[in-house]
Amino acid sequence: MNKSEVFFDGFWHNNAIFAQLLGMCPLLGVTTSAENGFWMGAATMLVLLGSNLVVSLIRGVIPKNVRIPAYITIIAAFVTIVGMAMNAWMHEMYLVLGLFIPLIVVNCAILGRAEAFASKNSLSDSLVDAIAVGAGFTFALVLLGGVRELFGQGEIFGLSVFGSSYPDMLMFILPPGAFIALGFILAGVNLINRKLKARAEQQAQLVQNEAVEAQS
Amino acid sequence: MKFDREQIQMVMALFVVAAVAAVLLGLTDMLTREPIAQAEKEALHKALTQVLPAHANDAQSDMFKIGKDKQAVSVYPGKTKTGRISGFAWEVIARDGYAGSIRILVGVSPDGNIHAIRVTSHKETPGLGDGIVNNDSWLAAFVDQTIDSRNWKVKKDGGDFDQFTGATITPRAVVKAVSRALQFFNSNRELMLATVNGEKSGGAK
Repeated sequence: MNKSEVFFDGFWHNNAIFAQLLGMCPLLGVTTSAENGFWMGAATMLVLLGSNLVVSLIRGVIPKNVRIPAYITIIAAFVTIVGMAMNAWMHEMYLVLGLFIPLIVVNCAILGRAEAFASKNSLSDSLVDAIAVGAGFTFALVLLGGVRELFGQGEIFGLSVFGSSYPDMLMFILPPGAFIALGFILAGVNLINRKLKARAEQQAQLVQNEAVEAQS
Repeated sequence: MKFDREQIQMVMALFVVAAVAAVLLGLTDMLTREPIAQAEKEALHKALTQVLPAHANDAQSDMFKIGKDKQAVSVYPGKTKTGRISGFAWEVIARDGYAGSIRILVGVSPDGNIHAIRVTSHKETPGLGDGIVNNDSWLAAFVDQTIDSRNWKVKKDGGDFDQFTGATITPRAVVKAVSRALQFFNSNRELMLATVNGEKSGGAK
């Protein structure tokens, strides 16, 4: 796979949320607004970069039987570092997200990437993969956070959209709203995927037809 | 009992990973300890500026304690340029919130009117209970109230303070904690005034 394939695969085809449905805990917990979703995604991406980097570097050195505890230790170390750094330099955001930062450790999207990708691929590919999966995760969190914020409070990134007379729809702020909104987003994603597939088939058909014509 | 090569490799691998992780965490802690303390101090300063009536002193360095040992309350006094007491601020902790404890900084004038309250840390549901942080009109309901001027309960319990749609427990806990803060002030008002005035004239506490 070349780099752009690695990226597109991590960002879209294998998107942690849309395709694999991993990392549902931060998804439910923090996506009450687009901003929270963004910073949670950014923190996750930092951890992913660190863990993919280290796991790719030590692939082949770690015996197979103990790889999972080794990966979890690496991930937990990076999560703690990111948490402390956030506490120090982004104190206000830490107060909002602080509760969910330690939970990044058990986000199986990250262990999944270490196990399924970084432990088998080169350093540069693993870093591209980390950026792609992190960006895809952030994209999903911001999208879901935006939808919930919009319908729940009539705002996007804290800016009023529907005006102050908008009756807040509590359901979208509560966890069930996350599932419902996610369901609609997944339906949209599947629709896009189907369109993409249909177009790819159409183009393949076209190329085939041209080839046949050229032959005759 | 003999260990084979593979077992020793496994133990060594985990040992090295854990050791490197421990060193990294120690380093990060050393690096971030100062900035975290600084950030917390700044956050407190910002909160104090909001809850204390107009003051010219550094309330954090003028802090004094009321009570003994573990139950001591840190009180931050506000003083004007001329040294007159403009108010006091201290933190109360509500332990009956929806999730974890809620810390509230309460600022009052010398005669016991609330100047402002501000939640400094909480773990309430984002978008629901966290209205206690950013719902300005709800926070405004506390301003200028005293222990006797309001019925310190949420409306659902027959009191004077709004609850939020879908979140009653959080405002209930905050209202209760603030009323407790006011009771604390009533019973310690003389002591607080005396402490600050005593310090000014260089007397003993």
